[in-house]
Amino acid sequence: MRTYILKRLVQIVPTVLMITFVVFVMMRSVPGDPVVSVLGDAYTEEDAIKAREAYGLDKPIVVQYFIWLGKLVQGDWGASILTGRPVLQDVMIRLPVTLELIVLSMFVALVIAVPAAIIGALRQNTWADYTATTAAMIGVSIPEFFIGVLLLLAFSIGLGGLLPSSGWVYLPGTCPSIVCSASLWGNTMHVLMPAFALGVGRAAILTRLLRASMLEVIRTEYVTTARAKGLGERPVVFKHALKNALIPTVTVMGLQVGFLIGGAIVVETLFAMPGLGTFGIDAIVARDYQQVQGFALITALAFVVINLLVDLTYTFLDPRIRYA
Amino acid sequence: MNRRSLLIALVASLIFVSSAALAQTPKRGGTLRVSYGTEIAHLDFHTAPGYEMMWVAMNVGCGLVNITPDGKFVGDAAESWQSAPDGLSYTFKLRKNVLFHDGTAVDAAAVKFNIERVMDPATKSGMRPFYEPVHSIEVLDPQTVQIRLKQPYVFFLHMLAAYRTGLVLLSPASIQKFGVDDRKQGKPGAIIGCGPFKFVEWVKGSHLLMERFDKYFEPGLPYLDKVMIRVIKDPVTEMAAFKAGEIDFIASFSPDHVDTMRAQVPRAQILSGKETTPMLAAMKVTVPKDGKPMSPDRAPHPIFGDLRVRKAIGCYGIDRQEVVKIAFKGQATPWVGMAPPGTLESVNVNHLCPYDQAKARALLAEAGYGPSKPLTLELMTNTEKSVFNVIATVLKEQFARIGVTANIRLVDKVSWMNTTLGDGPWDMYVEDLLSLLTIDSNGYLSSAYVSTKSSAWSHPRHTDTKVDDYYARYARELDAAKRRALAKEFLEYMAENMYWNTISGSPFYMVAQPWMKGYTYNAEFEVHYDRVWLDR
Repeated sequence: MRTYILKRLVQIVPTVLMITFVVFVMMRSVPGDPVVSVLGDAYTEEDAIKAREAYGLDKPIVVQYFIWLGKLVQGDWGASILTGRPVLQDVMIRLPVTLELIVLSMFVALVIAVPAAIIGALRQNTWADYTATTAAMIGVSIPEFFIGVLLLLAFSIGLGGLLPSSGWVYLPGTCPSIVCSASLWGNTMHVLMPAFALGVGRAAILTRLLRASMLEVIRTEYVTTARAKGLGERPVVFKHALKNALIPTVTVMGLQVGFLIGGAIVVETLFAMPGLGTFGIDAIVARDYQQVQGFALITALAFVVINLLVDLTYTFLDPRIRYA
Repeated sequence: MNRRSLLIALVASLIFVSSAALAQTPKRGGTLRVSYGTEIAHLDFHTAPGYEMMWVAMNVGCGLVNITPDGKFVGDAAESWQSAPDGLSYTFKLRKNVLFHDGTAVDAAAVKFNIERVMDPATKSGMRPFYEPVHSIEVLDPQTVQIRLKQPYVFFLHMLAAYRTGLVLLSPASIQKFGVDDRKQGKPGAIIGCGPFKFVEWVKGSHLLMERFDKYFEPGLPYLDKVMIRVIKDPVTEMAAFKAGEIDFIASFSPDHVDTMRAQVPRAQILSGKETTPMLAAMKVTVPKDGKPMSPDRAPHPIFGDLRVRKAIGCYGIDRQEVVKIAFKGQATPWVGMAPPGTLESVNVNHLCPYDQAKARALLAEAGYGPSKPLTLELMTNTEKSVFNVIATVLKEQFARIGVTANIRLVDKVSWMNTTLGDGPWDMYVEDLLSLLTIDSNGYLSSAYVSTKSSAWSHPRHTDTKVDDYYARYARELDAAKRRALAKEFLEYMAENMYWNTISGSPFYMVAQPWMKGYTYNAEFEVHYDRVWLDR
């Protein structure tokens, strides 16, 4: 097991390097030059040339990449071209907000998906099944921003400001600045709508997948045997069927993290949350190369690490799986 | 009415008057919660772009003078000022009790330091061209500073008050102690102004906080304890936050949503005024002859280098009424002149460009275009505001009516800036550019900037030195009547040559909660919170 984990950790390095290299090249291939934003209306061609030299943007892309990489291995993630702020510092300030959003939206997804899938599978072709599958279909079809707007209309405007429309209240002890609100209650109120907006789409996908998986499992011989032995429906469903049906679902959950990060960009913008998503989109729009690299690096790391953890949970779900 | 009734009536009126007066007595304290739709670029006030930064700078920094909505100058750090009869010098007498937030005095040396910093090419301030007429700055005594000019500059006070941030005085001690990057990031101690509010912190993507400066030179001001600025980019969310009472003031509100706001929050104060921002369909007049961007060696643009084509398309080929009706629901003014209707000394020259398809077709035919040689151009627009795309679509349709095909190219803001500022390839674009307090504040259009390879904003890059001459004569003319006549002549000349093609004014809106009091609307030029108070 340890060897397997080590092997996977080593594999993370080329994966992340490849992702950061592709992003590095792509960003520099997109039209637009951060120097124009830096100089603004004091722009002259001479100053632009000097600025490009100062930021090393005049060098070949591969050289620029290796300079960035060289600094990275020393713990220097670079600084924003526009504001001079250290990228790592900004990423660390914003990461907890997005992590909380992603974890809670996945929780929302599971809370909806697991019961809906079980009911759908156990009561196949009944109104309960049709309701669950139709709801899942609708959930998959509606984009996050639309669900977000509907939630805003319902809970921030319609119900007289029951939930705050925007902004963020940090969890106690996580406030990254001199002045910011921090409370568990405030945090919960602020994260509910974004987590729901982001989680509904994932819930729909997981419901469909888990239902199909459950249908397959409950028809297997060991489930029939368990029932024949006189086991109650609850242990049959939760101990034998669900646990096995969860394996493909967990795989997809890991892959969904990528979609969640993408969805976080939209949801964070809509709810004006100071997370990594808004950080990433602002960086891309401003062509702030260093910040984009920081964003790419942290999301790539998050993606591969979460998928490693997902692989490791297989051993818990199915003890027959062994990694060597 | 007997004596008793009279007495009762008198007492009742007294109670009514005093309670009304009490209701209007500013209350001290509270936090003003402001929403911005766009992130602040950075906080080096002398170089940063964008209104969002300017509206912070105006409250953290103080200047020499400010300007009221009716165009009167009022002292800021300067208690009085005098201009020489020949217009070649301005002498400012500073108030004695003005302090920077670090406790150092705002004196003549500090004023000299700040102006020289803006004028220094190494600072790379976008305001530098407007200080071109400054010859020298003399410290006459600690409270008196004299600015000597090379030639008269009638709009010198306008420029100091409200061209972009106006002159923002920062503590020389802090500027010397901290670097540009420290100011850009908003490091504690790096941004020391002399305005009513001290800068506390800026967490990019989250908030910017200012708090009351207790030693502000205006006794009793500001009323507010704090000003908290948050960025809410989505207008629907911004509206929801406003309706829920989570924010008190939207500093720039999307015109598309004004009607919805009126319907949703009838008590909201919707602030607007005369249009000072031009909505443009700019045409490129020249291109670099040697193919090198920003080259002073110019050749006519393949399409719009020909004045007949510029006039056919930009002048007679645009139905400005229709654009305004569709894009602004009629809430803007169709306009041809370079300076919009709200700009000082602006003149209506709409008669020069009536919508006339026949004339447009005739001019195009004269220039060699027609069914056998159809004209196709690229119409660039960007994603910053949805209204740009609506206008581009309307223009495409209008151009089709005169036989011209416009292919719309939608780019993001940075790509648009790259293409236009960097003298890249483009034919026509739709954008609203900077708000113009005076005609002079559009001085970037001078061809002088093309010949000196600067001129970021002279996008059309015409090389007509007569325009420079107009700018110079206009800004130097001390006689108001002569200057107004010159303004008319100048605006007509610009319209006749289509160097700057305005379609309409671009309306600007701010929205305040009913409990926000004491704010004086002065478009984008002056956004001050020192007299604002909250009646909650």
